[in-house]
Amino acid sequence: MGQAWLLSGILAAALFAHAPLARLWPQWLALLVLAPLRLALSVRARHTAFGAAQQLGAGLRSRVLRGAQALGPYGLRTQASGDLITRLVDGIEAVLAYFARYLPQAASAALIPPLLALFVFPADWVSGMILLLTAPLIPLFMVLVGRAAARASERRYGQLTRLGAAFIEALGGLVTLRQLGAAERFAAHLDGEGEEYRALTMQVLRVAFLSALVLEFFATVSIAVVAVLIGFRLLWGELHLRAGLFVLLLAPEFYLPLRALGGLRHTRMDALAAAQQLSRLDAVAPLGAAARAGSFRAMGDSAPEIRIERIGYVHSGRGAVLRECTLQVPARKVTALVGTSGAGKTTLLSVLLGFAAPYSGHVWVDGVELGELDPAQWRARVAWVPQQAHVFEGTVRENLLLAAPGADAGALQRAAERSGLGAVLERLPQGWETPLGERGLGLSGGELQRLALARALLREQARVWLLDEPTAHLDPASARAVETMIGAAAATRTVLLVAHRLSAARSADWVAVLREGRVIEQGVPAELARARGAYAALLQAERP
Amino acid sequence: MRSPLSPALRRLLAVQRPYRGWMAGGAALALLAALAAIGLMAVSGWFIAAMALAGAGGLAINYFTPAAAIRAFAIVRSGGRYGERLVTHEATLRGLAGLRAWLFRRLIPLAPARLAALRSGELFARLRADVDALEHFYLSVLVPAAVALLSTGAALLLTLIVLPLAALPLLLGAVLAGVLLPAWIERRAARASELAVRESAALRGMLLDALRGHSELLAWGAVAAHNARVEALAAQLDSRRTRIDSVQAVGSGVVGLLAQLTLLGVLVVGLAAVHRGALAPPQLVMLSLLTLALFDVIAPLGEALAQWRATLLASARVFDLADTPPCFTEPSSGTPMPPAYEIAFENAHLRYSPQLPWALEGVDLVLPAGARVAVVGASGAGKSSLLGALLKFYPLQQGRVLFGGQSVQALPGDALRRRIAVIAQQTTLFNLSLLENLLLAAPDASAAAIERAVSLAQLDPFVASLPQGYDTLLGEGGALVSGGEARRIAIARALLQDAPVLVLDEPTEGLDARTARDLYAALDAAGRGRTLLLITHRLSGLAELIEEVVVMEAGRVRARMPVGEYLAAEGGR
Repeated sequence: MGQAWLLSGILAAALFAHAPLARLWPQWLALLVLAPLRLALSVRARHTAFGAAQQLGAGLRSRVLRGAQALGPYGLRTQASGDLITRLVDGIEAVLAYFARYLPQAASAALIPPLLALFVFPADWVSGMILLLTAPLIPLFMVLVGRAAARASERRYGQLTRLGAAFIEALGGLVTLRQLGAAERFAAHLDGEGEEYRALTMQVLRVAFLSALVLEFFATVSIAVVAVLIGFRLLWGELHLRAGLFVLLLAPEFYLPLRALGGLRHTRMDALAAAQQLSRLDAVAPLGAAARAGSFRAMGDSAPEIRIERIGYVHSGRGAVLRECTLQVPARKVTALVGTSGAGKTTLLSVLLGFAAPYSGHVWVDGVELGELDPAQWRARVAWVPQQAHVFEGTVRENLLLAAPGADAGALQRAAERSGLGAVLERLPQGWETPLGERGLGLSGGELQRLALARALLREQARVWLLDEPTAHLDPASARAVETMIGAAAATRTVLLVAHRLSAARSADWVAVLREGRVIEQGVPAELARARGAYAALLQAERP
Repeated sequence: MRSPLSPALRRLLAVQRPYRGWMAGGAALALLAALAAIGLMAVSGWFIAAMALAGAGGLAINYFTPAAAIRAFAIVRSGGRYGERLVTHEATLRGLAGLRAWLFRRLIPLAPARLAALRSGELFARLRADVDALEHFYLSVLVPAAVALLSTGAALLLTLIVLPLAALPLLLGAVLAGVLLPAWIERRAARASELAVRESAALRGMLLDALRGHSELLAWGAVAAHNARVEALAAQLDSRRTRIDSVQAVGSGVVGLLAQLTLLGVLVVGLAAVHRGALAPPQLVMLSLLTLALFDVIAPLGEALAQWRATLLASARVFDLADTPPCFTEPSSGTPMPPAYEIAFENAHLRYSPQLPWALEGVDLVLPAGARVAVVGASGAGKSSLLGALLKFYPLQQGRVLFGGQSVQALPGDALRRRIAVIAQQTTLFNLSLLENLLLAAPDASAAAIERAVSLAQLDPFVASLPQGYDTLLGEGGALVSGGEARRIAIARALLQDAPVLVLDEPTEGLDARTARDLYAALDAAGRGRTLLLITHRLSGLAELIEEVVVMEAGRVRARMPVGEYLAAEGGR
């Protein structure tokens, strides 16, 4: 504004007074001082806004990540991870842009025009009135357009996350797709999704650009009206040139914040749509957190006895997986769970790990209900081998250390030896430092299984072993070695293992047969084999 | 900016060729809008000053022509900008979608041999973030730079006509703000923007681990530690972005400063000329406003160039990946498949990298059409490598694999794989409906064929238990079905493929004995009239399916014998 006033002064003086350059030096100087001041202030303002927005974004990112994790292992599996990552990375960035750019601009749009009007009025009240009357039309119009745009924007955002999920899945399953000869068809499917995204994006952008166009139009017309009126009043001699130029230089500045706000419209729409998706995750209550007041019960260090009493569990979208499931898992023994696939064996382990919250029944650990124990403390005592282990980005060593960050070289060596991973490491030229690809690319199924076993074994302090098919993918000799190792470890531990193959159950101390979410038979394997029950039938089925 | 257009960017433009019309149209509209904006300011300034002088001097003035010009410029500017935005964004979106589709298709033949080193999180980052970063090239660099260059030319031309001396400060200002400043910004932000690209890719990978490995992290009590790592990386990325933004902020502030200084220069020259009577006063006002308008056009360049290095890096990452040569050059599409199905390995040598030991070391194996053979051996004996070589996924370093008497190298890979149905060790299902998952290998399968495959795979009870039946979505990677169900879906899928060769890679792993036993019969029926290759480390019930056993050890065939003999030898141990 000061610049405009000085500039108009110089021009007016030069035009009318034919003033020599030298006489205007105070104005020149002031102009030279104002320019860097404006630079410093604008840099500072932007820096502050960006920093604040980033802090907000970082806070939101960790909240949303925790929200996603609060869905729990089962809830998380129903979400496509590509979709979640799109939300966590791109969604946060959309929200960040809103805070860093749109909000400060909105503040400018609210403050600057009235302030400028304050200076325009004394100079020329006619122009002042025009500015003041047209300005409110702009936000009003924006609100009207915004309503229509919000829905389109949300659809677009939904499509964006779907597209991300489809891509990440296709990339993960590229080998399978090639194998099935379906890669080109899947690519065409992706093209369709991409085209849909483009169409939806353009729909949103058309609305945003249209509103920008109308804004521009309003602003331009208003400026033109101001200019024409100034021109004529100058012609009639009703207005001094300096005032006229001053107002003319200010008129675009008057609309600039509003126009800039219009240009950032899609930033706001994107942010709103993204925020809507993010808030869905933000609102998730932590699984089974039940916000326990008071302290948890303390736990002993020895192998506990676990009693499962009439547990019922339902998967969302599926029938009951566990019903009235009752089982005693004694300490210092190996208990095997057998049964047809889908009988609920893995789910029972999930309940014990606290991944799945049963709708009824109790789990007692040494007489204390599982819910009364601190979940973190409980899991610290548990070593778990999942059915399909996730391989993390990093080396073999890093993958093992994730399970027990404090383990020393000796512990790593012991775990590798007992799981059979040692032989695998010998084959790898980089040994412990071999970087692992996804799903352990470069490792065979059996080698992966050993990695998962070693990870569990590294948790040497664990007194409860929950093993989901520990010998899957292993050749008979390796499997026998692992079974022997488990039997020996049970001397100081409580072991519950899921066995699809009965050879793994045969060496157990106790075996329980699950059918349709219930324990229908249990006992010592050798005795059950002689009886004519469910276990004997399973054995019969396995015999060639 | 050592080279204005790196090879990668030239490649980028080449890939975008189909969208050239859109791109050129957008740039033309942008230029039109920019010129109209400059014209609007210049004419308005001249008009006001002329009106004022006329008023003061009591002169008559033709105000119709300039007023009409102002109106025309205003309309062209607004309309042009609207059109520009629509067309440039359309061009960008089409270009990006095209590029993504192109890149994905380039990836297909690279899987799995050439992609082994890249995790899907990293691939995803390249396909998503890097391709998106290339949007910047056209929208924020190419178009603004072209527009700024041409607008500056036009403004200089006008100034040269009106007051040649004033062109000097204008040219100086334009070069400073449009060339030197962007170059300075690019240099200052280069490191940060390069690191930002890499770190944002790493962040996606880490987040993927955090979500997919959540169960494990939870069980190990490592969730908080992993989250802390994610947050540390995110904070680092944020600091890079702050750095870039600071440089941008300084840059855009300096553009404003340069605009003021240039204006001063024009004024100094202009006022002297007005004094001498060499320039009409309204023309000085016109030149001043022209200067300001021109800087509006130049201003975005500096900010855009802060991302230049990121754009270069992104394009390099994209094209590095796209240019990875596949291990096999496919024969011309018309190459016919041989009518026979005999499979033969001749002195096959395979290893996954020169540092690793041989996975196959001189394998000689013939499987006549209709043979039923099991390959057994400890894990790591080379059983799965046999399959990888047969499917033409991995190249042999020595020796060859023959299908129907012809080297697989000379056969079209897709046609070859259509003749070999595989039930893999690890089932991959997609977040499609059950039906769509089944139809992946055989999109034209009839309802009857589907029913038959489903019942052969013992999948009926499962389908019946689903409230939405075949339309049930299976979740990402088939997350919503149990391991055994997934296996049976994979079996049904392979049966639908109806291929002359059926490969079973540990088909009953993860299945309980009874389900497995039910499957033997199904597989037996499915394998009738087909070559059956069974890969397993435990024969058990599968022995009924086959006639012969091949024992592998350390990448070599140790022995081949009838199944009865093998069982007897095993039983004797």
